[in-house]
Amino acid sequence: MSEKPVRIPYYPGCTLKTKALGFERSAMDCAEVIGFEMDELKDWNCCGASYPLTKDNLMGLTAPTNILVEAEKRCQKEEVDPNLITLCTFCYNTLKRTEYAFQQDESKLETINAFLDRKYDGSIRVVHYLEYLRDVIGFDNVAKMVKTDLSKYRVAPYYGCLLLKPKKEIGLDDPEDPVILHDFLDALGCKVVDFPGQVDCCGSYLVMREPEKVSQLSYDILAEAAEYGAQALVTACPLCQSNLDKSQSDETRFSGLDGVPVLYFTQLLAIAFGLDTENHQLEDHFIDPRPVFAAAGADGESD
Amino acid sequence: MLINPAAKDLKAIRELELATGETISDCYQCGKCTAGCPASMDPPPSVLIQLLKLGQFEMARNAESIWSCMACLTCSERCPKNVSPAAIIEGLKNLHLRNQDPRVCLESMSRNFLAHSPQMAVVSGFRKFI
Repeated sequence: MSEKPVRIPYYPGCTLKTKALGFERSAMDCAEVIGFEMDELKDWNCCGASYPLTKDNLMGLTAPTNILVEAEKRCQKEEVDPNLITLCTFCYNTLKRTEYAFQQDESKLETINAFLDRKYDGSIRVVHYLEYLRDVIGFDNVAKMVKTDLSKYRVAPYYGCLLLKPKKEIGLDDPEDPVILHDFLDALGCKVVDFPGQVDCCGSYLVMREPEKVSQLSYDILAEAAEYGAQALVTACPLCQSNLDKSQSDETRFSGLDGVPVLYFTQLLAIAFGLDTENHQLEDHFIDPRPVFAAAGADGESD
Repeated sequence: MLINPAAKDLKAIRELELATGETISDCYQCGKCTAGCPASMDPPPSVLIQLLKLGQFEMARNAESIWSCMACLTCSERCPKNVSPAAIIEGLKNLHLRNQDPRVCLESMSRNFLAHSPQMAVVSGFRKFI
């Protein structure tokens, strides 16, 4: 690329710096190929992970607002468009809903500002990496950058919940019948496996209290995906990835099912781009995706 | 079932509506929330709301099933009357949590969970159960 890459303020969140490092690294490597740079905010805090569902819990908006302020100051200083890019669906959901809450009711912003050292003007637009690829770069342009032939692989999109719901506030896609990950996989040249469980909940944070239920929900999703012929699933959510992947360690429940690898969509994008995936932590997944994609040029042992 | 609710229960239900921003009487019991709920809740969301409509506040508040909600928002998304059962359930949970009645004990939390789950699960779990 001869042009200087566009720099977009980026909010990683806690999981992307620890358990989902492979998600961040693969996303950054792919961004470099596509021609943009994810510019991490210098001073960020946890977003709170769960957006408060009740009206009386405005305090839950202080953490995400503090992040939006940091992004706003950065954009103003550097005179760039007021966008903030995210990867984790929990962060995306929390920040996006905070953005929406302030758009709908300015008094909420005034109340939160009373708690913060720096005042937030409400200018930031929260964007998911997938949304950026679809709306700014264009999946057709992403398709042109694909170097690896993935046409023999049957991959199922798994959306989960928080990337899409509530529709009125997130507005990324239809929560009942989404297409964004389908279109993404299509651009990569995969055979897209459309299965009903793609929007079913994996159990989310219930893994803290009722891991058995999460394991069963994960089994139901994976068994259905396998029945529809999927060799792997892609997701944008580190908690979905963790629940679906790690649940498969339950040998009794999963005895009738061959391991189904669950990748971040950016990990597959990196494979499609023919990048060196050594740092993308594919080996950390309980079900190693490398044997499935070995013939496509992903690093690792072939089976 | 007692269909003649106590004044204190009606007051508590009004406070729950104020806290959550939801209008419980809007529910017309179509059952779409329950049909879509992946959490195998018993009583399920539509029954919890019907209990509240009948003024049975304590039965709804003390239902063990509220702790199985995963806030996937399927119920809220599908409600044709724009009621959010997930918000009402979170409102009921908050009444316990704000009264120092946590549902996860830190000391007995599984090491496996703490070692292997993503941080977002821990943060979310703390918000929903402690």
